Amino acid sequence: MANTVIGSSIVIDGEVSGDEPITVLGQVKGKIAISQNVTIEAGAHVEADVEGQTVTISGRVTGNVVARERLELKTDAKMVGDAKAPRIVVADGASFKGNVDMDV
Amino acid sequence: MAERETIIGEGIRVSGEIRGDEDLLVRGRVDGKIQITQKLTVEEGAIIEADVDVRALIVSGTVVGNIVASESVKLLASARVVGNLASPRVSMDAGAAFRGRVDMGDVEAARSAVVARPAVRPAQTSEQVEKAAPPRIAIPAKAAPMPTRVVPKLSAPAPAVKTTTTSTPAVPTMPRVSSASSANAPVWAKKKMIKRR
Repeated sequence: MANTVIGSSIVIDGEVSGDEPITVLGQVKGKIAISQNVTIEAGAHVEADVEGQTVTISGRVTGNVVARERLELKTDAKMVGDAKAPRIVVADGASFKGNVDMDV
Repeated sequence: MAERETIIGEGIRVSGEIRGDEDLLVRGRVDGKIQITQKLTVEEGAIIEADVDVRALIVSGTVVGNIVASESVKLLASARVVGNLASPRVSMDAGAAFRGRVDMGDVEAARSAVVARPAVRPAQTSEQVEKAAPPRIAIPAKAAPMPTRVVPKLSAPAPAVKTTTTSTPAVPTMPRVSSASSANAPVWAKKKMIKRR
């Protein structure tokens, strides 16, 4: 529980940046730029460009996502925006609209 | 709900606004504004450069900005705070560094001065302004009665000038100038009235 958590009732308007893993349960509008893993949980609502090492999405994301290692869309994920990552996993049930760039 | 807590970790920086209804623990850095209906804890090593509006505040780190806490503020020994502080209960441990004003009185007034003002700005009708004005201007007591006193004196042209910006005909008497009031009006005003007819 030590890491950064944006709780479900929290709204952040602006930029979140840093070098430790982050879990979002609430709302973020603006930008998330993290050099570690980013987890967007079910119920979370992110209207932001997201940058992380491994980005795992279960909630709703509107914005471009760049993952240096891996992007994972879980069953409940709803994503609108462009995805850029060397590895992309889309689970059955996830909804996604946007371009995919795997750098090939 | 009570065990819910948001944590801004050591390596994290948030620039912008944080709002919400749960406890917030900051170990990293926040620039901008924090508005939380619960408790904010600023740990040692954390830096906050923001206006803070919370229920309770516990500081071990650094806060630069104006603070409004509706319940209490605790500055622990390692705290460094620069800014004005408004809260009914304020405690400071030996070793805490603080520069600014402390106000343990009217927290609501301080809050409206620090926080609510920008939020109220978006489009209001003239009726809403009239309703909202008295409580907000209650602090600078002289400011409130001024407009109401001035307007009736300058009977004819003044209201017309004042209401040109508001499109709604909130003042029904404005366009009609009665002959009685025009008799009392100054010469230059009479000329204008004659022209209008």
